[in-house]
Amino acid sequence: MAPPTGPRGARGARPGPRTTHGAGVGKHRATPRTDQDGDISMGSAIPATQSTGPPARSARGSRGARGGRAARSTARLAENVRNYVSDTDSSSRASKAQFNKTTLKIHGLKNSKAASNPDGGLRSLLEFLERKSSKERPITLGRGVIQGDYVFVKVSKDDAPHLLRLNGYTWAGAALAIEETSDPVPGHDRPSAKNPATADTEQKLLGILASRYNAEQKLLDLSALGSDPTLISLGSFASRSLAEKSFKVLLYLTSSQYDDAAAKEQAIQAVSLANNAIQDVAEVFTLAHTLPRLRRLDLSGNQLENLSKLSKWRHEFRRLEELHLVGNPVVAQSNSLSQIVDWFPSLQILNGERVRTPKEAADALAAWFPTPLPRLPSNLRDGENNIASTFLRGFFSLFDHDRAALAAQFYDADSWFSVSVDADHNRDPISQSYIKYSRNIGELGVRNPGTQQRLFMGGPLISELWTLLPATRHASLDQLDQWKIDCHTFPGLADPSGQGSAIGLMINIVSQSEEVDVRQQLAGIRTFSRTFVLGPSKPGAPHPYRVVSDQLTLRDWTPQAPAPAAAPAPPAAPIAAVPPAAPDEMTQLAMVQELAGKTGMTAEYSRLCLSGAANWDFNLALASFHEKKAQLPPEAFASSA
Amino acid sequence: MAASAHETNIRCSAEAAKNFVDWYYRQVNEAKPIAQGYVNGNATYDRAGHAPADICINGLVVATPQEWEKLLEQQRQCPKQTDPNQKLVRYDVEVFNCHVINPDYRFAAPQKMLDLHAPTDGVRMMMMLTVGGTVYFGTGRNKGDGYFAKERFQDVFILVPNWDVLGKPGAKVGRKYLVASQIYRTF
Repeated sequence: MAPPTGPRGARGARPGPRTTHGAGVGKHRATPRTDQDGDISMGSAIPATQSTGPPARSARGSRGARGGRAARSTARLAENVRNYVSDTDSSSRASKAQFNKTTLKIHGLKNSKAASNPDGGLRSLLEFLERKSSKERPITLGRGVIQGDYVFVKVSKDDAPHLLRLNGYTWAGAALAIEETSDPVPGHDRPSAKNPATADTEQKLLGILASRYNAEQKLLDLSALGSDPTLISLGSFASRSLAEKSFKVLLYLTSSQYDDAAAKEQAIQAVSLANNAIQDVAEVFTLAHTLPRLRRLDLSGNQLENLSKLSKWRHEFRRLEELHLVGNPVVAQSNSLSQIVDWFPSLQILNGERVRTPKEAADALAAWFPTPLPRLPSNLRDGENNIASTFLRGFFSLFDHDRAALAAQFYDADSWFSVSVDADHNRDPISQSYIKYSRNIGELGVRNPGTQQRLFMGGPLISELWTLLPATRHASLDQLDQWKIDCHTFPGLADPSGQGSAIGLMINIVSQSEEVDVRQQLAGIRTFSRTFVLGPSKPGAPHPYRVVSDQLTLRDWTPQAPAPAAAPAPPAAPIAAVPPAAPDEMTQLAMVQELAGKTGMTAEYSRLCLSGAANWDFNLALASFHEKKAQLPPEAFASSA
Repeated sequence: MAASAHETNIRCSAEAAKNFVDWYYRQVNEAKPIAQGYVNGNATYDRAGHAPADICINGLVVATPQEWEKLLEQQRQCPKQTDPNQKLVRYDVEVFNCHVINPDYRFAAPQKMLDLHAPTDGVRMMMMLTVGGTVYFGTGRNKGDGYFAKERFQDVFILVPNWDVLGKPGAKVGRKYLVASQIYRTF
């Protein structure tokens, strides 16, 4: 790296025409600025009218000039920082218009004596080039990049001839070949997985981790690392500071093996750091951040002298249940163990002795952190007729299999439905199928027309919307652990007769359902909540009660193995894979609904279209629909189409 | 078209929902009282003989909003924690939605309100509001702070007009809509 030394400083202090615009002149001309406020300065030689015109450079005085210079240097600084920092995408940087820049390719560094320098001799080469090219005027070189046998460096077009003149010079025992090139400057040479040496080390370390992991006990055994033959051969634990770094690398690699914190926490519940000659836990502090919810930790056989050597961890490991310190001097000190028990609220076993019961540990932890309220089972207060259970049993079975019939039974002209989505579309790709109907007032804003448009009223409209939503499969209501249902009655609903008020039933459900989106070939398990208000029906309705309001809120979604119809391909792959014949009933239904939604055909015709020549290939069916659209009878289309 | 589908009702209910959600969770997050947001203790509703609000918290029926406040207080307890960024309970609302379930609410309504406001005026509304989000335990004041544990929550409210406030245009104090019923669940 070329040091920004003398030449740059000299350039900055260079006498030039700009200095004549210095402060001395500006002082006199500061007065015209007041003209802008309407005060005409009689002392000024510049007519008042001029100040309202385009800002003349002279009228602005020194302020304008200074501002310009500052702006230029800020821009240059920003550019430098950008060049320096953004080595991620060198091609886009190279393609950026830099009209006054050109790239030089220098050969010879690898053959020189300087090649054994820590930086490969880059710095001394650039210093040499700067010195030799700065004969007429100072030339500063920026960052150079080594790629293979060549050094790439970007220089200004004005400087290029001075550097090209050095072609053929001998430097540090090697002949330099300098040429202009149109190749982009390669990215900064970072140590990455591509580097074979790094990859090799990484593989070796991963091998160590794998051999030291006990899946049965969920234990990562990092004891006696200093005597591990592989680590000795790598030299990772040759010195204390190197050992600390190597330990960090091991933990980093451990983390990288898991998709998320929950998986890591599940897989590694115990760690042994026994016999590692640890003098202070600060040396292995990273463990607390890598595995904050660790349950069991073995520190025996180390050199922890007193409590202060453990105190770095006193606010960590809130869930640590078991700790072993045997073989450390700290154990012999009075009070130290009781202090340790106090530091780690969940600690139940210290050096093999029980220090807290699980109940006491839970209480001790609760003293440190707010505790969630207990969750009681479903609370159904739906009167003697068990309206809620009867209604829900019918509801979810019909919602899974025949949504049109469901809407006809329980939804009348005044029923409301809306869906709102609380999802991150990366983790929850199916949410895309809902998002355009999502009525999340907080996200839309109260005055957004969406709050009106995404409110669906009346059975037919609701039923139509439901055909567009992904297919679902709910657990049986007999599986009590799958459902949290709370309901109670409340007064104040309008009676459908128009006279007086009626009792309503408010039901809130939190549960999970399987969900399939045929179009995206995605399947998963969805946590949802659904809230109903039931009220008395109008005369002539099929049931004595009706749905007044139905709000569906979609929460977390966990991907599952794709549905039988979907090929086990990653979601990014084109949906060209032909699904195997005869998908199960639920998938068929979902496909029918999807096709109906896309084409505007009725469910019967959609089913015909899918089950015919297309043989349940959705894309084929859609293609054949577009082919034969004109020949289809009008009754093939739903009335709303 | 039914009155509840009237544009004014939809807009006013969305506004009322937003106001309520903003107020309620701010009070809860700042450990301030919420009981004044319920029909319990409201003189007009009490006089007309309205039943106390039915509040069901994680399957447990609590008799009064004050008891719910006590549960929230119990949830916040962590006497040993000294770090302000690890001792709070914070509710982050992520999604909410509201339907008018009775645009012509009459219970305990003063005659003046019945004369003044038609069912399409977006005033005499009974609403169902659902709120979803995440509650963080052992966290700081701001979104994105670290936390010790988290849960999802679902909160459902039946809101009814507070005649005392709605009847006085320009009233600065008090909630426009009161909770007549609540179901709260974490999962």
